[in-house]
Amino acid sequence: MNDSAPVLAIENIHTFIGQFHILEGASVAVQQGGITVLLGRNGAGKTTTLKSVMGITPPSQGSIHFRGEPLAGKPSNVIAQMGIGYVPEHRAIFRELTVKENLQIAERKRGDLARRGDLIFDLFPDLKRLYGLPGGNLSGGQQQMLAMARALVPENHLLLIDEPSEGLAPVIIEQLMRAITRLTDHASVLLVEQNFRVASRLANDYVIVDEGQSVASGLIANLVNDDALIQRYLGVA
Amino acid sequence: MNSLKSFLKRDGWMLFIFIGLLAFPFIVATLTGSSPTGVPRGDRMIMRGESVRWQAVLIEVFILSLLAMSYNLLFGFTGVVSFGHALFFGLSGYIFGILLEYTALDTGLATGLGIVLGIAASGLLGLGIGLATLRLKGVYFAIFTLALAEMAYIFFSRLQLTKAEDGFAIGELPVWLDPTQSRLTFYYITLAVFVVGFLLLRRLMASPTGAVFKAIRENEDRAQSIGFNTLRFKLLSLVIAGMMAGAAGILQVMLNKKVGPEMLGLTYTIDPLLMTIIGGTGTLLGPVIGAAGLHLLDVGLRDQVIALGGASIRIADVWGLILGAIFILVVMVFPYGIVGTYQRWRLKRQHRGDPASAATSRAARRQSG
Repeated sequence: MNDSAPVLAIENIHTFIGQFHILEGASVAVQQGGITVLLGRNGAGKTTTLKSVMGITPPSQGSIHFRGEPLAGKPSNVIAQMGIGYVPEHRAIFRELTVKENLQIAERKRGDLARRGDLIFDLFPDLKRLYGLPGGNLSGGQQQMLAMARALVPENHLLLIDEPSEGLAPVIIEQLMRAITRLTDHASVLLVEQNFRVASRLANDYVIVDEGQSVASGLIANLVNDDALIQRYLGVA
Repeated sequence: MNSLKSFLKRDGWMLFIFIGLLAFPFIVATLTGSSPTGVPRGDRMIMRGESVRWQAVLIEVFILSLLAMSYNLLFGFTGVVSFGHALFFGLSGYIFGILLEYTALDTGLATGLGIVLGIAASGLLGLGIGLATLRLKGVYFAIFTLALAEMAYIFFSRLQLTKAEDGFAIGELPVWLDPTQSRLTFYYITLAVFVVGFLLLRRLMASPTGAVFKAIRENEDRAQSIGFNTLRFKLLSLVIAGMMAGAAGILQVMLNKKVGPEMLGLTYTIDPLLMTIIGGTGTLLGPVIGAAGLHLLDVGLRDQVIALGGASIRIADVWGLILGAIFILVVMVFPYGIVGTYQRWRLKRQHRGDPASAATSRAARRQSG
């Protein structure tokens, strides 16, 4: 594998959920150490793209390669073990486990948590204070931090982060953005983010998904100045 | 010194109860002026007197607690609902009984072999059922286990070899183990098995494996997508629960010196389920409190007769009705069971005044609402 090859290469995937054809030819690449953001309206297929990578809704056509290896046919636990951390939307933590247990079960090798503890508490100092509390007792922002921290416990090469800023206060979003920026020292990121301002500050690359297809992609710096494209697919100016 | 202090602070009351249980036969003996070892007649001991009678009651509590704890591991901690738990309980009982009564083995050897094979068979049965059906979700798995247990019940009710519906008596157990001769020893053996089972379960649930069980209970897909082969963990839970229920079944056969198809019947599935829910699903102590509470209530009320107008009602005849009423009452007053509701209440109190307390009560409201 050479350095210029993407960490994640999604090529022309088609994914069905039940009888609904959700993805109709989506292609996304995530470069080593970079942050790629998936943009698009509600229901465009952004979350399904992440779930297709994780094997939760496996694609029926097309291919997904992670560090050169095809993911087709692998169950989601095996895909996770390959080094992909998934942070689902709606702060998908385990509400009945304590903060400590939520982090502990993410260990893939013994001692993962001890190795990453400093980084995690540096990024999210709140979690240290809440260590013994059940996850369900945390506020929304704290739960989102815990969900991201969980993906940091094992050595992941790629993080899939779905809508981290959804429903959170601006000051919390700022903190999460700082954390995500620092994550790239450890892993590449594929991010779904509705908040265009947040997305444009974080990401290097973008892919716009519309009606299940990837319709535009490139450097986010170029998109920021392309009002026509933003207006057409994202409805914001 | 410090670790002893923190141990006493955390577990001191459990140690206190344990010492109380150790002393129990002698306390009852002193209070009632009976002998803790029964009454000698010729060269045998006859199990008569208040102390030995109460030992039998507590032995049953220990056995039911083991059964309820094993049900709780599966249902409360891992979120797998089985309606066939009696299968493990009864099958190991039959294996143990058959080895003792239907083989030419020496009694001691048959007892030892019966214990090992009974528990091993329960574990294997759990593995087999799990491999065949754990991919089924929720109610389908529950119905499958119900069908399997009922089939076993019908099979043994008709099997002439094991005396069909009547079941068969165990003629001889090693004297030191036999509850009709050495009840005090048997009391301490069941107490030891119960305590070891409880401590093992506590250890397991404090381990990372236990956390994965709880994660699966809450959201299996999520547990899978962070890298766990959830089927394997559910299998493990089923095998451990099966072995514990199997051990309880063997103790039950030793206590009653009898094996019969009722051990495979619905009662031994429903009772641990009720005990678990009443005591507190997914708590360590809940099933124990549920088992002790319900069984002691049953024993205490069984022989009471209430005169109501002209009619007199024997409590034993309407026990099912009473159990139902208790269940409804507890579920309404303690929505998380006795222990579960207490734990939530305490957690809320502990974090009052803490910055997280607002979040805590918010979360509590969300969960109850």
